[in-house]
Amino acid sequence: MLNVVFYFQVHQPYRLRHINLLDIGHSNELFDTKLNSFVMKKVAEKCYLPTNKLLLELIRKHEGRFKIAYSITGTAIEQFKLYSPEVLDSFKELAATGCVEFIGETYYHSLAFLYDTNEFLDQVAMHRKLMVDEFGYHTETFRNTELIYQDRLSDIVFEIEGFKTIITEGVDRILNWRSPLYAYKNYSKDINLLLKYYKLSDDIAFRFSNRDWPEFPLTVDKFVNWVDHLTLDEKKGRNQFLNLFMDYETFGEHQWAETGIFDFMYHFPEEVLKRPHLGFATPKETTHLANYQQESLSFPEAVSWADEQRDLSAWLENDMQKNAIETMYELLFRVKQKGDEKLLKIARMLTTSDHFYYMFTKYFQDGDVHKYFSPYDSPDQAYIYYINALADLEERLS
Amino acid sequence: MKILMYSWEFPPLISGGLAMACYGMVKALLSQGIKIDLVLPTKEMVYFPLREESDADTMPAVFLDPIVQSRFIRKKFSTLQEKLDFIGISSHPESYFQLAEINEFLTVKADYWKSDTVTLEEHELWEEMTTHLQGDEDLMKKVQEFTVRAERFAAELSYDLIHVHDWLTYPAGMLAKKLSQKPLIVHIHATEFDRAGGPGDERIHKIEHAGMMYADLVIAVSQYTAQMIMSRYRIDTGRIRIVHNAFSMPDDAVYSKQRLFKGPTILFLGRITIQKGPDYFLEVAERVLKVHPSARFIMAGTGDMARKLLRRSAFLRLKNRFLFSGFLDRKQVERVLRASDIYMLPSVSEPFGIAPLEAMAYGITAIISKQSGVAEVVNHAFKIDYWDVDLMADTINHLIEHPEQCKKMGTEGKHEVNRIQWDEAANKIRAHYSALLADFLRQTGGQN
Repeated sequence: MLNVVFYFQVHQPYRLRHINLLDIGHSNELFDTKLNSFVMKKVAEKCYLPTNKLLLELIRKHEGRFKIAYSITGTAIEQFKLYSPEVLDSFKELAATGCVEFIGETYYHSLAFLYDTNEFLDQVAMHRKLMVDEFGYHTETFRNTELIYQDRLSDIVFEIEGFKTIITEGVDRILNWRSPLYAYKNYSKDINLLLKYYKLSDDIAFRFSNRDWPEFPLTVDKFVNWVDHLTLDEKKGRNQFLNLFMDYETFGEHQWAETGIFDFMYHFPEEVLKRPHLGFATPKETTHLANYQQESLSFPEAVSWADEQRDLSAWLENDMQKNAIETMYELLFRVKQKGDEKLLKIARMLTTSDHFYYMFTKYFQDGDVHKYFSPYDSPDQAYIYYINALADLEERLS
Repeated sequence: MKILMYSWEFPPLISGGLAMACYGMVKALLSQGIKIDLVLPTKEMVYFPLREESDADTMPAVFLDPIVQSRFIRKKFSTLQEKLDFIGISSHPESYFQLAEINEFLTVKADYWKSDTVTLEEHELWEEMTTHLQGDEDLMKKVQEFTVRAERFAAELSYDLIHVHDWLTYPAGMLAKKLSQKPLIVHIHATEFDRAGGPGDERIHKIEHAGMMYADLVIAVSQYTAQMIMSRYRIDTGRIRIVHNAFSMPDDAVYSKQRLFKGPTILFLGRITIQKGPDYFLEVAERVLKVHPSARFIMAGTGDMARKLLRRSAFLRLKNRFLFSGFLDRKQVERVLRASDIYMLPSVSEPFGIAPLEAMAYGITAIISKQSGVAEVVNHAFKIDYWDVDLMADTINHLIEHPEQCKKMGTEGKHEVNRIQWDEAANKIRAHYSALLADFLRQTGGQN
């Protein structure tokens, strides 16, 4: 049996205003309310609302056989409430079907794991509480920001009561000859690991509308045939998991409605469910579906799902990114010591990984993607505004 | 006395200190009764007949073409900016005028220099200028165009002397002198050695040299610059005069402190180019921040080194303690000055440098490089070799640790710079005009 495991990442950062030097010290609003509201409303209309509606319809239609998982960041949920409350309502409707798993992560979609373990734990706890408060859901699966993972993460997450699975990228240099279609264990065999099948995930997320791609156009038939072929290698009856992980904004935002992405998604489940050896599962279900001794995998170095390198370079490659993030965590620590809740909230909004992504300078291969997502003219500008924001926050503190 | 003046910059056509220096100088000269026909790199063929002090602000314009001129006079402009737009002055120096055909430049102009009256020396200087005023760069083309157009002004206007500012206008000045036989004054605000922070462009040296050699008088903005033109350009000392620049503050300036940061604030304000030594400022910041981590350094301005320094400040992990302002307009400059305690300009080579005087007018303690002309006119400022980053860092540390001394130095500096006035500089220039004109009339026997 091969189970298709869909997991969608739902995230919106608080984008910073263009904060100039002379804006510092006036306690001005640091975040670009107008832009954030605009983006949220636009993405709600193009992606969240139509996609939620579609998936709700599919769940109802297939009566429990079609399942999905979401990871929704705290900053996204806050902005739903501020700018587009109907989106949150539609997620609650999905939660009520019982066919949706919610995944735990850091509330602020931060890189705290790499810099500040206490902050990481705080943000994970905040997010967990948010999932209970909003959806009545107790998270059992964890994903770190941008699927960043290394052995140490599993140690920390294992210590948190209730997490049994972590999902991350199926990186070739870790897997080598192994297949990402099986559930693994972390290096200490304590926790279940699911690995993104990046080829087929990216066929949908990145290549779907690419006319230069030899497989264009991607039809449901073609895709399900590829999926079907994956089962041929398994001859011992072991359950396989095809982990299709992607940004939720793929639907309608990165791939516009005109590309046919919604049609594709509409017909995909029925085509899968037509075949008796194919089905759907959510990440947490894989722990008891894994009917074999799970091999352990060690990740000595951090991996992620970003860019070709699948490492940390998208956020932590150049000196601007490093100086910015180091300064921020130092400041965050001081804000915590002062115990000013209002400033702590702002500081945490600055922990969101997107801020560092905007400062990425390798504009040659993957830069296009970065540029597409950046609200600033250049990485240098993004850096200047961010550093100014940190200076402003510090002046408010002292 | 009437002067034909060519300049590349003049407010509102500003790209740097040259515009402000010309403005202050022209205004003071006008107040002393000198008449000036000013020619700028405008899109239209206009000149500015400046007769009264207020003309430096209102900029009355005359078109050489009488038909256009009559149209211009009939036209009603509601603002000065509207009028300047019509003439074709923009505040962006890169868009002065459309590039016209300049192929004829060498052939047509060369005729003037082939007549019997041309001496061998004169011919060589002309060759030096024309053979080096070549290149495909935007700037070279603009200077060529400016020179071609300068001819009509030189031929159609009447004047006693020609006064030109910096190499961009030297070819125009040379042409004007050749046409009119009037004495030529070249004013050195900066040489290519200063701007480049090194040898720079050979062609520009040659044009500078030709201009200075052909001139009857060379005015340098400082002793520092005079030394430079004697040693690097081999100009006869007898023809060099030193007139220090001055500066004047706008009437609506506000001087009171208004902090951005609670900690000590150290400011670099100028173009972020190699000439101004911004990289030394960064090295000093790194040293000071090790001792005083609560200090903040502001790098204000724009320039071709900004990106490099931004990256380096991140590499040095200067946290949120080394900040960049980007481009600042007049009012924003004032706000950043009001927020600062210490001003630092570690210029590698600075013929004069008005910016430190401006900072001092705000009561800010200034640290300036010994390699700057402004060091000759102020006492209440720290003068340190631009490369001596340790001493500069020690000085800043000392000032941070002794804020009362910093304040005292700032106050004394403020009093000192308030006494530096353009009137004094204009007096000297007027005296040089008179002497030069008297000489000239004596030589020509009043024939001209």
